[in-house]
Amino acid sequence: MADTNASPILMMTDVTKVYQSRDSLFGKSSNRVVALDRFSLAVNPGEIFGLVGESGSGKTTASRLIVGLEKPDGGRMQFDGQEIVGLSGRTRREFTKKVQVIFQDPYQSLNAHFSIFDTVCEPLVIHGIGDRAACLVRVCEALETAGLTPPETYLDRYPHQLSGGQRQRVAIARAMVLNPRFLIADEPTSMLDASISFQIFRLLNHLREVFGVAMLFITHSLAAARNLCDRVGVIYRGRLVEEGTAQETIMHPRHPYTKALLDAHPRFGCSRRSGYNALLETERPRPETDHCPFYPRCRLAVDNTCNRRSPSLKTLDAGHRVSCFLF
Amino acid sequence: MGHPSSLSPTPKNTHSISAGKQRHHWVERFLDGWAVYRKNTIGRIGMALLGIFALMALASFVPQMVDPMYHPMTGVDPEISHSTGPSMRHWLGTDFIGRDIFSQLLAGARIAFMVGISSALISILFGTTIGMVAGYAGKGTDIWVIVLMIALFRWPGVARVIRSQTLSLKHRPFIEAARVAGASHGRIIFRHILPNVMPLALLYMTFRVTSAIIIEAALAFLGFGDPGSVSWGMMLQWVWKTGHMFQAPYWLLPPGICISLITMAFYMAGRAMDDVLDPRLRKEEIKP
Repeated sequence: MADTNASPILMMTDVTKVYQSRDSLFGKSSNRVVALDRFSLAVNPGEIFGLVGESGSGKTTASRLIVGLEKPDGGRMQFDGQEIVGLSGRTRREFTKKVQVIFQDPYQSLNAHFSIFDTVCEPLVIHGIGDRAACLVRVCEALETAGLTPPETYLDRYPHQLSGGQRQRVAIARAMVLNPRFLIADEPTSMLDASISFQIFRLLNHLREVFGVAMLFITHSLAAARNLCDRVGVIYRGRLVEEGTAQETIMHPRHPYTKALLDAHPRFGCSRRSGYNALLETERPRPETDHCPFYPRCRLAVDNTCNRRSPSLKTLDAGHRVSCFLF
Repeated sequence: MGHPSSLSPTPKNTHSISAGKQRHHWVERFLDGWAVYRKNTIGRIGMALLGIFALMALASFVPQMVDPMYHPMTGVDPEISHSTGPSMRHWLGTDFIGRDIFSQLLAGARIAFMVGISSALISILFGTTIGMVAGYAGKGTDIWVIVLMIALFRWPGVARVIRSQTLSLKHRPFIEAARVAGASHGRIIFRHILPNVMPLALLYMTFRVTSAIIIEAALAFLGFGDPGSVSWGMMLQWVWKTGHMFQAPYWLLPPGICISLITMAFYMAGRAMDDVLDPRLRKEEIKP
């Protein structure tokens, strides 16, 4: 289980990312989208941290910033105590050995022209690890770890010959072949059906238990997060609005947005809870001044407070943190 | 866990994996590709035709060595002063001043290959490379590269298409996966993007090669060819200009048929190369 006393393996401090549409030829356009707004996050070694939020809330942006696919506009990010913004050359290569990503869509994340062997072997080739025979052994091991057995039958196949679940397992094998210390799973099951999703969750949990990989698990499903994660962070419009253990956050949500997310979950049969009913039916206009990001949609919002200032994270009991004026 | 001695690969595995230990990676890839190509009937026909034409091009140096009168341009049979039909002395007959049509046909194959191959090299090599680099580098550079190309050469068409294909490829997750794994730009361009644009580039190459051959023939037929060399189009022009169009089928048909067959052969070979380059098009093998 997660070792909460150790220093975090990944730290994001006040990270901001703004997407700006390029200036048009005539005059400037001012289309700004704030994907991450002073976003902070800490993942402990060996922990699965769930990042939950709706589409466009900045989950994927966070993951792209961590692995260096995008550059942040502000803030600091540290991996293992080492600054990782703007790494290049040797230090970046070392970093890419330790951090890997499992992408959302297994139909897009595998090169159709690469056999499974080539796909899984690629990180080894890039980092110049081992000759072909040694690579073969490691690729087979990785495939076996990812649950593709017997691995030899997969080596010469191509992605189009595999099912979605098998492809995602290949992607997991590719991510695991370098024995990384940190894995980012960006909605790894959103393209897969429920039974396959469950298998993938089990696999991820297995990886954590056997290899001690820390994980940032990005999802829009609170059910998945509760199933898999030790701790959960809820992100809304680029801000972390609530954070705590998975059990506590999901069973006793504090922030109105977390409640709204829970309400949005379909439930079978009769439910004990009658819903939190935290969401406004018609949105309020967004105030010009600084305000709580959830103010326009929040039923519980207090005028003259929520539309005047932006709340900061407050620690409640047992490491449960909420960014809301109601607490 | 997997150990080399404990592996029990399927027959196909034995081929590609154990072979890799002895042979070079690229040799192995070529042999794999050739194995796929060989299964394609259209590809075999195309390759056979191209082989015949290549032999003809090579053999075009032979007749004038046998006897100077067989030289396609300057060799004139002293005993013949008009067009004659096929005979033992002239297998396909002679043209209006007694030159050997067969040796002209062989020389024409050489010209067709030179025209075709040079245009193929230019379009595929320059067009694809420039297009990929421009598309991948993106931002300001690609506009200027394209402008430069339009100004200088005839291959911007290929480059433009390849560039747009590259633009759509470079944000695909599998490219980003490679970047996350630490791949260099060169590796991404040549190992990831190139195989994905290759089928398109090859399609353009077959178009370019065949259109180059046909355009050369058409220009020569219309009288804009190089009067110092023999090409199939030039032969057709001579038939036409000397009024033998309907009198001498032995003179008219061979170059016409050759032009049709060589363009067809390039198309067929290109079509079969699709199977080699795109694993999705290969037929699934049913393993026993």
